[in-house]
Amino acid sequence: MDIQIIYLLYVLAFIIGSITGLVLSYKKYTEPFVRKNIDLAALILALIGWILTINYSLIETLIPYYATITIGIFLIAMVIGMRPGYGRFETVIGFAVAGIIWIIRTVLT
Amino acid sequence: MNLMANILLNVLVAFLVGSVLFGLQRKIIARIQMRPGPPIIQHLLHTLKFFIKETVIPKTAAMPFYIAITVILCSIWVAAVIVGPVSEGSLLILFAIFAIHKIVEHNAGSSSGSPYGKLSCVRAVFSAAAEVPLFAVLLIIYLQTGTMNLADIIAYQGTNGALLFSIPLAAMMFFVLILSKAYYYSPLNITMGKDLVSGFETEHFGMLRGFIMISESIAWYMLLWIFLTVFVGGLTPIGYLAGMIIITALVSLIDAVTPILNPNHSVMTQVTLAFVGIVGSVLMIFYL
Repeated sequence: MDIQIIYLLYVLAFIIGSITGLVLSYKKYTEPFVRKNIDLAALILALIGWILTINYSLIETLIPYYATITIGIFLIAMVIGMRPGYGRFETVIGFAVAGIIWIIRTVLT
Repeated sequence: MNLMANILLNVLVAFLVGSVLFGLQRKIIARIQMRPGPPIIQHLLHTLKFFIKETVIPKTAAMPFYIAITVILCSIWVAAVIVGPVSEGSLLILFAIFAIHKIVEHNAGSSSGSPYGKLSCVRAVFSAAAEVPLFAVLLIIYLQTGTMNLADIIAYQGTNGALLFSIPLAAMMFFVLILSKAYYYSPLNITMGKDLVSGFETEHFGMLRGFIMISESIAWYMLLWIFLTVFVGGLTPIGYLAGMIIITALVSLIDAVTPILNPNHSVMTQVTLAFVGIVGSVLMIFYL
């Protein structure tokens, strides 16, 4: 597939994911971000999203890389795009775990 | 790929990425100022919102120019995308588009009949002096590479290294230009100063405002695209995205920690930086 179409796919996945995350989080949380709890559902989405995006080559034989990254970006955007304040800790944890897996997979082996 | 499809694809990417980068700019500024800030896609949602609002035309508007100016603004930035990412044409055309953008800012303000718009229009004329760096950058790039063609400039950098390192002062001048076009709280963007509400676009409502905002998003993407292409060289789409995020973050940092300058100071700052940039670059080209 043309690289520019793939690029557009990523951008659209980010935007649609952000809008979905924003709408869902406003339904879930009626108050502003004050309690600073970690949302388990958002954490799972962030973990899957970041792991898929950074470590897309793990399942490259099953699914084309751009499909994996598009799904990953959609899930990442759902968490990043949550109501202001929410989703920050989850994003950092997701990125850190995916980064550690990437380091173990590429640098340490 | 079919040329028409290529143009549509690039315009769509420019609009979406430009809008998200504006949102990112707002988010970073908010975080620096210890506020949660709006979601990153806020600017995009804001743009789309205007398409479902009523389009009101003020009694004092100079018709049909009031409507035509938004069409012109959209057209010039679509043209910029065609000359830039689609065909990698001449830098001269891109800089002509910047010059027309200045005239459009001027006329959008004056055609509305609003005092805010008119003041913004006067400032657009005043800040035209600050466009000096733009033409100087063109000349310096020509002196260094011997070409104005984007494809040739990319090829030149492929063999001689990025222009960012050989003519850094020209890059600095272009960065100041980018800074002066930043949408939110830019210290140098006097036509959009908060003392003028929304500057030249204050009296454009509904769909017309939506088109102006789409054009501005494309303009921001194009400014960053030109900077990266001319001073860093041909990058992959992901490379461009990374570069654009870095420049937007840098601009946001400057915007968040500096006050909005008054028009005199803004123009004098840009002219002073242009003087340093031009003299320094010419000296570097001929004596280093």
